[in-house]
Amino acid sequence: MQRLVLMLVMAFVFLDVHAQQHTVKGTVTDEGNQPLPGATVRVKASTVSAITDASGNFQINTGEQASPVLIVSYIGYVEQEVTVNGASVTVRLKTDAHSLNDVVVVGYGVQRKRDVTGATSTVRSEEIVKRPLVRVEQALQGTTSGVQVASNNGQPGAGLSVRIRGVNSITGSNEPLYVIDGYIGGSVESLNPNDIESMEILKDASATAIYGSRGSNGVVLVTTKSGKEGKTRVDFSTWFSKASVPKQLDLMNAYDFARTVNTQFQLSGNPAAFTDAQLQELQSKGGTNWQKELQQSPWIQNYQLSVSGGNTGVRYMFSFNHLDQPGLILNQYYKRTTLRSNVDVKLNDKMDLKVNVTALFPQNRNTQYPGDLIDPFAQATQWDPTSPVRNADGKYILSAQYGSIQINPVAQASNQQVDNSATNLTGTGVFTWRILPGLSFTSNNTYEIQWSLNQQLFGKETSLGMSGRDFASQGNTRYRSYQNSNFLTYRGDFGDHSLTLTALYEQQNRRNINSNAQGVNLISYVNGYYNIGLGSTQLVSSGYWADALQSYMGRVNYAYKNKYLLTAAVRVDGSSHLLDKYSTFPSLALGWNIAKEGFMQDNRIFSDLKLRASFGVTGNQAVNPYATIPQISTGAPYYFDGSKPTVTTPLGSPVSTSLKWERTEQYDAGLDAAFLKGRLTFTVDAYHKKIKDLLYYFQAPFYNSGATYARNIGSVENKGLEFALGGTPISTKKLTWSSNLIASINRNKVVDLGGLDNIVVNNIGSPQSNVSILKIGQPLGEFYGYKFLGTWKAKEAAEAALFGMKPGDAKYVDVDGDKKYTAADLQTIGNGTPKFTFGFINDIKYDNFTLSFMLQGATGYQIYSQTLAYVWGGLGDARNATTQDALDIWTPTHETDNPTFSKSSTNFINSSRYVYNASYMKLKNLSISYHIPESLLSKVKLRNLEVYVSGQNLFTVTSYPGYDPEITNATNAITQGLEMGVIPNPRTYTFGLRAGF
Amino acid sequence: MKLRYITFLLGLTLAGAGCQKLTEDPKGSLTPGTYFKTASDLDAAVASIYLQLAVDAAYANISNSTPCFGSDDLTTDPGLNKLGFRLFDQLNGNSDADGRLNNVWQGPWTAIYQANNVIANYEKVDAADDVKHAYAGQAFYLRAFSYYMLVRTFGPVPVIDKPLDVDARPARDSVSNVYNLIVSDLKTAIGFLPTSFPGAPGKANQQAAKALLAEVYLTMAGWPLKQTANYALAAEQSDAVIKSGQFTLVPDYAKVFTTNNNSESIFSLQFNVAGGLPQRTFGSSCMPLDEVALNGNSGWDDFYPEINFYQAAPKCARTDATFYTTIKLLQPNRTFKLVPWSSTETHAGHPYYKKFRSGVGDGIVETDNSIISANPSTNKTLDIIRYPMVLLNYAEASAMAANAPTSESYAAINQVRRRAGLADLTPGLALNAFRDSVVQERAYEFAGEFGIRWFDIVRLQLLPQILAKRSNLENPINPAVANNPAALAQKYLTPIPTNEMLRNPQWQQNPGY
Repeated sequence: MQRLVLMLVMAFVFLDVHAQQHTVKGTVTDEGNQPLPGATVRVKASTVSAITDASGNFQINTGEQASPVLIVSYIGYVEQEVTVNGASVTVRLKTDAHSLNDVVVVGYGVQRKRDVTGATSTVRSEEIVKRPLVRVEQALQGTTSGVQVASNNGQPGAGLSVRIRGVNSITGSNEPLYVIDGYIGGSVESLNPNDIESMEILKDASATAIYGSRGSNGVVLVTTKSGKEGKTRVDFSTWFSKASVPKQLDLMNAYDFARTVNTQFQLSGNPAAFTDAQLQELQSKGGTNWQKELQQSPWIQNYQLSVSGGNTGVRYMFSFNHLDQPGLILNQYYKRTTLRSNVDVKLNDKMDLKVNVTALFPQNRNTQYPGDLIDPFAQATQWDPTSPVRNADGKYILSAQYGSIQINPVAQASNQQVDNSATNLTGTGVFTWRILPGLSFTSNNTYEIQWSLNQQLFGKETSLGMSGRDFASQGNTRYRSYQNSNFLTYRGDFGDHSLTLTALYEQQNRRNINSNAQGVNLISYVNGYYNIGLGSTQLVSSGYWADALQSYMGRVNYAYKNKYLLTAAVRVDGSSHLLDKYSTFPSLALGWNIAKEGFMQDNRIFSDLKLRASFGVTGNQAVNPYATIPQISTGAPYYFDGSKPTVTTPLGSPVSTSLKWERTEQYDAGLDAAFLKGRLTFTVDAYHKKIKDLLYYFQAPFYNSGATYARNIGSVENKGLEFALGGTPISTKKLTWSSNLIASINRNKVVDLGGLDNIVVNNIGSPQSNVSILKIGQPLGEFYGYKFLGTWKAKEAAEAALFGMKPGDAKYVDVDGDKKYTAADLQTIGNGTPKFTFGFINDIKYDNFTLSFMLQGATGYQIYSQTLAYVWGGLGDARNATTQDALDIWTPTHETDNPTFSKSSTNFINSSRYVYNASYMKLKNLSISYHIPESLLSKVKLRNLEVYVSGQNLFTVTSYPGYDPEITNATNAITQGLEMGVIPNPRTYTFGLRAGF
Repeated sequence: MKLRYITFLLGLTLAGAGCQKLTEDPKGSLTPGTYFKTASDLDAAVASIYLQLAVDAAYANISNSTPCFGSDDLTTDPGLNKLGFRLFDQLNGNSDADGRLNNVWQGPWTAIYQANNVIANYEKVDAADDVKHAYAGQAFYLRAFSYYMLVRTFGPVPVIDKPLDVDARPARDSVSNVYNLIVSDLKTAIGFLPTSFPGAPGKANQQAAKALLAEVYLTMAGWPLKQTANYALAAEQSDAVIKSGQFTLVPDYAKVFTTNNNSESIFSLQFNVAGGLPQRTFGSSCMPLDEVALNGNSGWDDFYPEINFYQAAPKCARTDATFYTTIKLLQPNRTFKLVPWSSTETHAGHPYYKKFRSGVGDGIVETDNSIISANPSTNKTLDIIRYPMVLLNYAEASAMAANAPTSESYAAINQVRRRAGLADLTPGLALNAFRDSVVQERAYEFAGEFGIRWFDIVRLQLLPQILAKRSNLENPINPAVANNPAALAQKYLTPIPTNEMLRNPQWQQNPGY
């Protein structure tokens, strides 16, 4: 894409080739010997230059010089000087990974990187193909400063949480806006990572404000690959990964568990549960390791085939990708097939047409576990190890007498089927018309349609079946979205002044229609979920929503002498969601190319130095459709005679009609520097973001329905610093080492809550207490509860008695000193928002070998782990302790801080006892690849062949005792840092190959 | 040619420009503008009130009795996952311990919210007055019932009788104001409701309203209002229900708990497991932890009676049907070993409830020496007002109003006693002795049922007497509470859940919490 644009730009500034006496012919290629069309060839110490044609060939008059020196340059490649000793020459250009001269996509156009005034980062295809990526977001992890990416969930196909410059919204999504080939809000799931040419991450408001009410979480502009002129290239790649859960919790074996149940019962005055004979038998037989029974170590497979090529009139890129990813627990998988066709047509001298069509076929089973205490994964840590998985007759044992009340996790995982599949078609057509020199018109039209099918089967041997609600269901959703963007761009140079003007009109509308049919208590399950009519009770529902957005945007890019840069833009968004339809989002940015100043010309240190500053306003569309209209929902039926259903239509929450978008005001100052001819680059940005009119789905008091209603309640701020340091410490003919270090510091604070001091937030999932709080002056993700002090010791017996407690009972901070643990003693007990994140990527190339590794981490935050609370038993559905720590409880002679089992003790679930430091550093990726030498390849007509082995999540440095410090139930900014039984990230060992023909 | 081509393309791309509509039309949902037009709208809106009470987050499981564990008919396991129950059992209730308390707050309030919606809008509906009144009367009834549950549990709560603004945060009203609304609502309901709804036994009818009003008056005569003039009113209302002849006692006490909408059922919540509305106070919930059915399911051990409560029970058929005293322990050879409740082989060393085991044939399925299956969900109704309550309300209220038991007072209590398999009450008892007998009768007639025993303890301030008889095998109560009358007096009210306190920053928590 960038090259294409550059060629077009160059076509306008085309310079004549003067034909004189001495002529040199030549070819310019890239490192892979592919021709580079559009490269500039200049004769040193002259004004003569030429541009390579579609085959990378050029012809240039070198005048009378005996051994002329040619300077060959091309955007994105290292400039090269060649001395010509003959009539023809081949120049091979090396890619320049750290160039400030790249062209970057900026949204509704492109810009030279040196003219960019906003804070942006780029991830290129080379970085993407290096790792076995399942999801596009993984390519952002550890590669871009200011971007914090966490794989919160190890379920197959699961999305990652991406936070650009901290969390902004407590209600709306904090995920950045993805713009895929100009289609705003495109689904990243629909993207095959290998189809991506580049991703631009727009971070500051001057860069994102052109996306107005959707820009406040940052924007990721994704450009997919286009065909290149030249002969047809066929690329094939594949990888296989062996995945496994990297760490197991230390749980008791059956014997220790049984002993501990006995201890627990005896301490609370009940008889022992297990006789000595039973204990002996358990000791010899071992019992069940539920973690092991539930988990599996699957092979993940990925295949990618692409065909690309073209001529001056038509260029094409077709790709096919198939991913098959089974889960880390039984009966779970994600499969995805994507097809893409990108075609670029030159209609005539002035018009281009680009048509990109993708088809996506995702399919998954049981990948939607919410991360909850009733999930099989969490249950495996709470289940009774003295119970076998199956009876003697081979049938699953469904419930156990000790441990968890819930169903056998292996039975649940094996017997439930939640199958999703979808067909997604997205077509983008981009029409470009260069009306006059400098003036062009672009119309970008995208139509996306998706049919989804959700089929569920919960038979008799599932938790629902056990409670008499076994069912089969089928849900259908049809979604469509249409976007039409039209913009005029004018570029002009007037002496030292250069100007680019952009004017946009854009409209978008979406519609979703769904229906669901459920049959309960099927008379037979032999047809699975294909015969819902067998249900003795039938339930149906349907839904509809639609929305629309209409926008105008104007932008000015101005540069004086290429030194002083200005970008100003205003976007006006009109939305169907609000009663006050239109909102305005202005931005302004300034840049100063210091390196271009006269006083810098002689310096040998800086090859580039630029200062940037910006201010802008963006929004977050956290208000759902119809949020300003009171809703009367259709509830579950009621049965006045116990059998005949009566429809219910409960009134929803009252609504607040004065809703507004959240508005983010962001200041940014940044510095880009390149040293030693670009061998070392450094970028630093400081920002201050204030999010006003913070939208919150406030839970109404129960006398006002207890339901949630949207309300603009206050503000939050994010302050931060981000650094990116890139360099090539070693660059010799045989050995190159390039390295990138990125680091981000973010401080987040709740500034205002509309008159309230704090809001305690209802938990996600089924836990029964509230551990999250929004509190003025504290960051988002604050935990709230009792501060745990360990146990009452023997010498404190008198003090403990005042609380009605005994030594060995749990001790907490009694804030108000009333000798009781009540709500007055609740306080903040930790925070789940990381303060510091970093990534460190290295590529060491020696001959045909490349060693790459990536370290990534986050510090300065805690995790509240529900999983680690429930393994103590006595909470939720967990009756008995399963953790090995329960072997080390307080006794009169061994006074530990693990409370004893006691009738007088209180094990509060919302206590700091279950809050852990979660700082970590992970070796995210380590790979060794080998390029088969070209001398060998040419014999078998291969252009390129590379094989590699790699490992992901090979080790983690952390003191966190849970499964994985990276995973949480971070469904929103308030509850980040809560962990309630989420499947961790797999450790994978991968081998793969890439071949080009 | 070329120009036409360009114009065509340009025209195509700009075709939609400027005509994007931004108005919203929620085609998939009802809105206030499209609602309360017909009697069917009203039907669905009234059904929504019942639904709020019947869901799992409200009264469908034993969390509905969380504040009532201070009573002697309910206790729980000292450990396991019963923290919320245990703290109340130990008179150490916590507003935040494990969320079980939320059920008791959420259910009635969300019902009141839906009821207010009906009461504010029912007149708009195009239907005959008696049709509208039959619906609105249920809303008034359910609002009164919900407030009655709230005011007895939490004391002062705001009186809200119409839809509120989204940001309104009303203050807590006095207990007497709350009762004023309850009485007025029930009188309206009595005027509006028909005496029965054929084919819809779950709907509150006029008799249900009278029966509830009688109960309300009786409660108002006790703590905290002590409006003794209400005894006569209570007697009057219950008498009307008795005289209606609409209800008779089910001859076999055990059958009351294995049938739905039987002849003594006056008001009950309806359930339907397959329809997504399971009743979960029966079955596994009351089954001993150490009992395992042949289908593999074991008990949840949520609640059982205190030892003294069982031991003091009168010997009669009702007691036999009420309590479960022989625990069946599954042996490796798939047979059951039968042991008495007090055996050291049992986990809890407590008797259990038998009457909540079966449900309507879908809870625990068992024989005398075998448990075939055990399930946590049942279609059994949750009986809120049974006819014996009307009889016993009448017995107590008529005696108190007349300052001595009348022959009708005796007749009423003796009806209940005869069905229980007991002899008639000793004639000629003094007023207090008679009243104590009625209260005792209520304790065993309604043992373990929906807090009835606890609310008797509250209105009559019986905690000291109950504690005096409490076995030391029960969960320990902090002596600082048990031996301090002032601290004990605070335990009759329940703390408001922490969350709701935070949403209402101007409220004061009940003293002692």
